[in-house]
Parts: sequence; structure tokens; C-alpha cells
Amino acid sequence: MIFGKSSKKEIKKLIAVNAKRKKFEFPIPFTDELKIGDRQGEMKIKEDDKHGTYLLWKNKKYPVEVLSKNQNRYEILLNGVSYNFSIETPTSYKRLKYLNTKSGSKKNENLEAPMPGKIVEVLTEEGREIRAGEPLLILEAMKMQNEIQAPVSGKVKKIHVKSGESVLKDDLMVEIIIGK
Amino acid sequence: MSIKSILIANRGEIAVRIAKTCKIMGIETWGIKTSAEPKAHYLTQVDKVYDLSDVFSEVLVFLDVEKLMDIVAEIKVDAVHPGYGFLAENAYFAQRCVNINVKFVGPTPDAIHKMGNKTIARQIATKNEIPLASGTTRSIRDAADAKKVSDKIGYPVIIKAASGGGGRGMRVIHKPEELAQMFRLATTEAEKAFNDPSVFIEKYIQNPKHIEFQIMADSHGNVIHLGERECSIQRKHQKLLEEAPSPALSPELRKEMGDIAIRIAQAVNYESAGTVEFLLDTNNNYYFMEMNTRIQVEHPVTEMVTGFDLIEQQIRVAQGEKLTITQKDIKINGWAIECRINAEDVQAGFSPYLGTIEKMVLPNDENVRIDSGVVEGDTISPNFDSMIAKLIVWGETRDEAIANTQKALSKLWIKGLKTTIPFFKTVLNHSSFTNGSFNTGFIENELEFMHESTDEEEALAAWFATLQYINEKEKEAENQVDFEQGKNINPWLLNKRMKSF
Repeated sequence: MIFGKSSKKEIKKLIAVNAKRKKFEFPIPFTDELKIGDRQGEMKIKEDDKHGTYLLWKNKKYPVEVLSKNQNRYEILLNGVSYNFSIETPTSYKRLKYLNTKSGSKKNENLEAPMPGKIVEVLTEEGREIRAGEPLLILEAMKMQNEIQAPVSGKVKKIHVKSGESVLKDDLMVEIIIGK
Repeated sequence: MSIKSILIANRGEIAVRIAKTCKIMGIETWGIKTSAEPKAHYLTQVDKVYDLSDVFSEVLVFLDVEKLMDIVAEIKVDAVHPGYGFLAENAYFAQRCVNINVKFVGPTPDAIHKMGNKTIARQIATKNEIPLASGTTRSIRDAADAKKVSDKIGYPVIIKAASGGGGRGMRVIHKPEELAQMFRLATTEAEKAFNDPSVFIEKYIQNPKHIEFQIMADSHGNVIHLGERECSIQRKHQKLLEEAPSPALSPELRKEMGDIAIRIAQAVNYESAGTVEFLLDTNNNYYFMEMNTRIQVEHPVTEMVTGFDLIEQQIRVAQGEKLTITQKDIKINGWAIECRINAEDVQAGFSPYLGTIEKMVLPNDENVRIDSGVVEGDTISPNFDSMIAKLIVWGETRDEAIANTQKALSKLWIKGLKTTIPFFKTVLNHSSFTNGSFNTGFIENELEFMHESTDEEEALAAWFATLQYINEKEKEAENQVDFEQGKNINPWLLNKRMKSF
């Protein structure tokens, strides 16, 4: 077994955890024999020049690819829909669960640019109390002006953009302190 | 005058579409190569290319009247086809073409101007006793004026750009308090998009159906309609799926609305292809919304059910021919559905998804038509719209068209980026869509999930993610540098590794 040369314990399973913390467990040694719900069968990975990589499961083809990857986190595009998983060992999963219960409530919300574009107008100011759904700024992208609303109620901690400025996807725009 | 050569003043799928018909008609086509996309697919579909790829200009050539006029003079074409968007509804550009005796494939500058300015169009409609949503027939100057007018009409109201179209410069106001900000947004957006900040206000019809009629008219006073298109599946006024005919119209209502559409066209001595848009409320009251004086994105569904090539008709009318079809010749045959396959992330509010099309596998079923301006290896960039392809599918009946579209969607594979395909799968499965009761509020009010996905598919993805992880851990152990970041790994190698685990 390969997982970290320092680890002496043999890993018996791996756990894929989705964004809603749903678990998908896979035994190690990893196998292409799969049981999903009450359906059981062999999974095949295929590839050809025309289609690229796809999965063959129960006589159905599923186009599949890795859209992005960051350490143990994977964004998989399957049949056009993306799924995010972090892959955990039983030990790291326990740690994850522990950390989640410890820091249950988040104090800050970072508002990031949902798409690349240009800030047309900033409608709020630092220190202002805001309601969820309140428009904070106008982002122009793909020739449309999009109103960016507060995802939560709270207080504007810091504004990182100015009107006229260009932003890339996921650029931090506004920091909000959550709270009524 | 017979047209022997045409400059296509456009790009993307519509440039490809125009070139296709020109080829059949034996007309020489010119395309323009820009620095923004010097390797674009449409350039391979035209006979001659005017090369501007070394010229870096702030304004894209397709929006630059002076530059286009210079090109027209230099290459000496007989006609210009503007496609849709860009200068397609620019009366000044059309007039400039007329001035130098080059045919603008579209209506006269006068008709473009009258219908292009929505306040003038409203005045014309009022004069011709065409039903309109209550509102202003003049432009609104400031927020105070807007407030006065809106209070009188009664909320909700909608602010629309006088020179608008395509959903830009449009804002719905439910409460008086929202008015000042929405007014500012609508006017700045209108100014940016159309170089004209003027707006008008009308009563907002809640959750109507969007029904539009395809008009074709010649320069000899003949006007016909080629039936309607149902375009109610839209998000923020952007159409996503269109069909022809509409499940909402009875033959009587079709005739009534079609006659009115013809009347509007006649009121401005219309010629060429045009579209009259109506809103239809739940009581089957209809209201004239606007006339689009160009070929529409969704024109293929009409072509599918009528059998006529609308680009060909446009060109024939442009060279002065009389329409050879009369209203009686128009028979609606079967049903057609168009899905706009855009590079958008439906799981993240339809935000544009930029990237490279790594694979594009198209269905080659009978009754399927694909209009596309991109090929494998092309990039969807922020410079242009996010359209990858239009999937147009025909069936004998609406049910058959829906089933055929579902089949075609499952065979349409696009890799490398996210698209609207999973969205259409879920729409086509929804009971409001299949029973035809949907309206423009469908996406906002009825659609619970924006994409189709099953628990089983998620489990398959989880399995694949875990495999990737194992694979990379193994690579790390072998002290190899992973240049590919887990993408495009040979499945045989993967299988071998799995077995060796």
C-alpha cells in the first residue's frame, strides 16, 4: 500500500464526501465491482478518440472528466453535471467531522465574483448593516448588468473592489460579518 | 438586381448559416477575420476572407460602420448581410449601404428606425389599433417622471430601453421604492448596450407566454407570416428553448394574431424577414411587444416546420424578387424544438463558463439539425456570447419532437466545459413543459432543479473521483511529477493500476 510512506496502518477504505457531507465509501483494494443502491455490476472506463473518456455502467455511457482538482478535492463532470468531492481516509474523515462540529458557525462570509466581469457600481459601504438579498454591487459580464446580492444578513466588513474595476471569477469582492 | 456577392458582417454560427445558403444559391461570400478570433470556424465556411487580424481596434469591426463601409467599397460586394446582433438593427448602417447602392439584406432604414425605437413602434401600434400593454408612448426622462408614470399605470411595471432588445436595459419594478435604483440600472445598461439611455415604461404582464410570429415581406407589398414560435422558456428575458408551433394557440387564435402581425409589418412597409413579438396572458389576451427587424437566432424551428429557407427568402427579396409563396402555401408540418447549447454553468446561476471545447460529439439522427460556429479545440472567450451550438429537432407531433430532442441531447457530448445540456434534459422532463402549460415564469417558479442528475450518477462520479485520488497517490509515491493533473489518463493504464491495488 502506498498511502504516505510514514503511515504504517493499512487503509481499508476511502471516503468521497460531497458538498452536503454525504459519504460514498469505497473498499481498498479498489475494485470496479460496484453496488449503487440495489444495483450491482462492473464499472468500465473506456476511451476513444471521438468521445474521450467515459464510464460504462449497466450498458449506459457516461461522459466523464476531471474539471478541476485541488489537493484531495475533485470536481468531476459526469454527463454534463459537476460534482465536488473531497477524498478522505477513515482517519482524515474523523478529523474532518471533528473540525466541522468544533467550528460549527461561520463568522464571516466572503462574497466572491461569480463570473469574470467589470464592477459597474458599488451600492453599499463598509460598516453598513445589510439584509440577505440586498443588492451590494452591480457586476457587468457578458454584456449584462448583474445585481450581486448579499447572501446573508450582517454587516459589511470590507469592500475589495471599486466601480470601474475588472474582476476575475472567484475574486474576493466583499467581506461580510454574519449576524443580525 | 441580382446579388452575386455578399459580405457577411457577422461571426459565429449565423455567419456559417448565411454562408451555407449563399453557397447553394451560387453567391460568393466574404467573411471578416478579426484579431479577437483569427482562427474562427466561420472563416473556413466563406469563399473569401478580409483579413483584419493584425488590426487591434477598440471597437469590433462588426460594430464599426465606417470600417465596414470601407471594406464594402474595397471588395465591391453587391450586398451586406448583417445576421443578428451587432449592426443588424442599425438604421444608419442600412442607410449607408443604400447610399452607395449596396443592398442591405434586411428591411429599409425607415422600417428599422420605426420598429427599432420602441416608443415610435408603440405609437404606430396605437394608431393601427393593435393591442398593447398600457404604458407610455414617449421616453421617460428621469426617476421622478418614471415614478409619476408608474404610479398611474399601477405596479408591477417594466422599464424597457427604447432602443433595446435581447433583454438588456429591462427592469421589472414591483414596489415604488425600487424604482429609483432600477431606473438608474436600466438607463446605464441601455446607454452602454445601445448608445441610447432613453427608456419607456409599461404595465408588466405577470408570467405571460412569449409568442412571436415570423414575417416575410417583399418590396412589392406582399406580406405573409410563417406561423409562430413559442419562446416562453427564458431566463432573465434571455431565450433558452424555442419551439414551433406553440401548444398554446388554437388555429383561430393563430390566424387572429398572424393577421395582426401582418398588419404591423404593413404599417411600416416592411420588407425582408422580421419577427413580431407578443405577450399572451392566461386569458388568451395578447399584447404587441415589439418587432425585431432581422433574422432571429431561433429561425430554424420555423424553417423545420414550414420547409422554407428564410435566409434564401431574405436574399431573394433583397434582389427585388416577388415572394413566390402566398399565405395559403404555408402549412405547418409537425413540430420543431430548438435548444440553445451555451457554455454556462447552470449549477451556478447560468454564469458563463469559459474554456476550451475538448470534445464535441454531435448526434447524427434523422430530423436533427445543428447550427454551430465552433469546432473541437475552439475556446469560449468572454469577448463574445457563450453559444456553442443550436440543437434543432423535428418530430411529427409535439410528444415525438420532445422524445427526439431527449434522444439527441443524450448523444450530444461536449467536454472541457460546462453547458446548458443538463438544463434542457430536466426541462423536457417537466410536466408543465410536456403538457404545454408553461409560461415565462417557468424557470423561476416551477423548475425546482436547474439540471438533471440522479443519485446513481453522483455515486459514479464519487467512484471516479476516488479512482483519480488513488491514481495520483500512486504517482506521488513513484515520485513522478503530474503535469496533467489527472486529466485525460489512459483508461488501460488506470485499469492496470486498479488491478494491481
